[in-house]
Amino acid sequence: MTLSTPASVYYARRLRAYLSDLWERREFIWFLAVGNFQARNASTALGLFWWVLNPILLSFVYFVVFGLIFTSGRDILYLMSGMFVFHFTSQSLTGGANSVLNNVKLLANLRFPRIILPIANLLESAMGFVVSLGLVVILALAMKGHVPDVKFLLLIAAIPLQFYFNLGLGCITGRLAVPFRDVNNFIPYFNRIWLYLSPIIWPLTFLDRTPMLKALQPFNPLYSVISVYRSALLGYTLDPLDLLAFAGWALAIGTIGIGVFIKYEGNIVRHL
Amino acid sequence: MNRPAILVQDVTVRFRQYSDKKPTLRRSLARMRLRESGFVEALTDVSFQVARGEAFGIIGPNGAGKSTLLRCLAGTLRPNSGKVVVNGRTSTLLQLGVGFNPELSGRRNIYLGGLANGMRKREIDELFDEIVAYAELEDAINRPVKTYSSGMFSRLAFSVSMHLEPDVLLLDEVLAVGDKGFRDKSMASMQEVLARSGTIVFVSHSLQSVSEFCDRALWLERGRVKMVGPADEVVDAYRGLTSSTGK
Repeated sequence: MTLSTPASVYYARRLRAYLSDLWERREFIWFLAVGNFQARNASTALGLFWWVLNPILLSFVYFVVFGLIFTSGRDILYLMSGMFVFHFTSQSLTGGANSVLNNVKLLANLRFPRIILPIANLLESAMGFVVSLGLVVILALAMKGHVPDVKFLLLIAAIPLQFYFNLGLGCITGRLAVPFRDVNNFIPYFNRIWLYLSPIIWPLTFLDRTPMLKALQPFNPLYSVISVYRSALLGYTLDPLDLLAFAGWALAIGTIGIGVFIKYEGNIVRHL
Repeated sequence: MNRPAILVQDVTVRFRQYSDKKPTLRRSLARMRLRESGFVEALTDVSFQVARGEAFGIIGPNGAGKSTLLRCLAGTLRPNSGKVVVNGRTSTLLQLGVGFNPELSGRRNIYLGGLANGMRKREIDELFDEIVAYAELEDAINRPVKTYSSGMFSRLAFSVSMHLEPDVLLLDEVLAVGDKGFRDKSMASMQEVLARSGTIVFVSHSLQSVSEFCDRALWLERGRVKMVGPADEVVDAYRGLTSSTGK
């Protein structure tokens, strides 16, 4: 370090080299994502349709169960929009971990920016996510005659922001899962709790009756994320604070996760 | 042009020691008291150079660190200390079919494999027919790779690697792919790489192919360089030792 360049300059240069390397490899990322997508189709009879079918079936299960208890359960659009948004994020936790653990051969043999793996994984699930959002829009039109208004444009910011947020999470689980495989066992439980704490299967009015839950929401990134999506897709009133919180969470978690991943990716092969 | 293709200087690689025993608190404390590091050295102070246009063999018994050394050369494993410099575009054939997805067609996998190795899509478009012809898979290219025989799979993987036009080609025990005809063809391709002053590093248990094919060789023993020199001499010395100890 005493040589000539200060550490900050050194790291800035390294980051720039890393990012340009990543950009060079964009075709690889795309082929990896599409390839995994296709491979998944190849092995099941319904193939691509599972991306839509999975969330639909899940929504249906909750609709049947919670529709009998909570009034919100009867609002299928409320339920589905929340479920799909949640799914996109919760998938990135398992997906991030698996993207690294399942590609040992690639990691051990070839040199490339390691973050390609979680990015490709996320791209793959993003394709399914966009399809499922289309489904919500169509159902909203068919069931309630809701025509997308100007708030629909929020998606232009929301999808990339959630992508960045998810990438941060996927990077964290991806890097953690390498030395601690146990991480993979915890994720489903974590996701389950996160689902129940988020405004998906219970109506927003439920918050007024449960002050504990209400006090938790400022610490739940998905609260603001889901609220913004519902404004965009279903025309709910938009609270600008939600949009702000969403952006803040995304930038913070995304940047931390990606930063940690890049900093420590050099040691991945040693643990595999 | 005097720059060596590969320069390895005082490279040491340590791995965490795996054991069946659980790392309980008591054992960890005991280990700390005994000042045991819990690490094994896979490579210790390894140094050598490989010139451009040279075929360089690496031999040694199992567990000597040959694959670890190749991974350092491929740049996927960062040594704990020391320096590794590889000049030029490197293609690695440490394992066959890296980046391949068996569910997808041969066509799709040529793209995946090429892109994984750092090629551009455009380059692959241009070389595509050649890659398929070289692998002799014209009829099967649209079938999923999981339906291929192991020979077909190896040919496809090898063909992709040979078409990267590497300056430095790293090979790990993969020469024995396919039938006799394909082996001859792959031998010819490697001579071609050497002819345009590319460099080949070649790890093998087959001493005969090392002495026939390589100019120089390195003998690794327990992570240390035992001998570097002309391939024949190194192979003879290695043979002499292993036969006298009856291994």
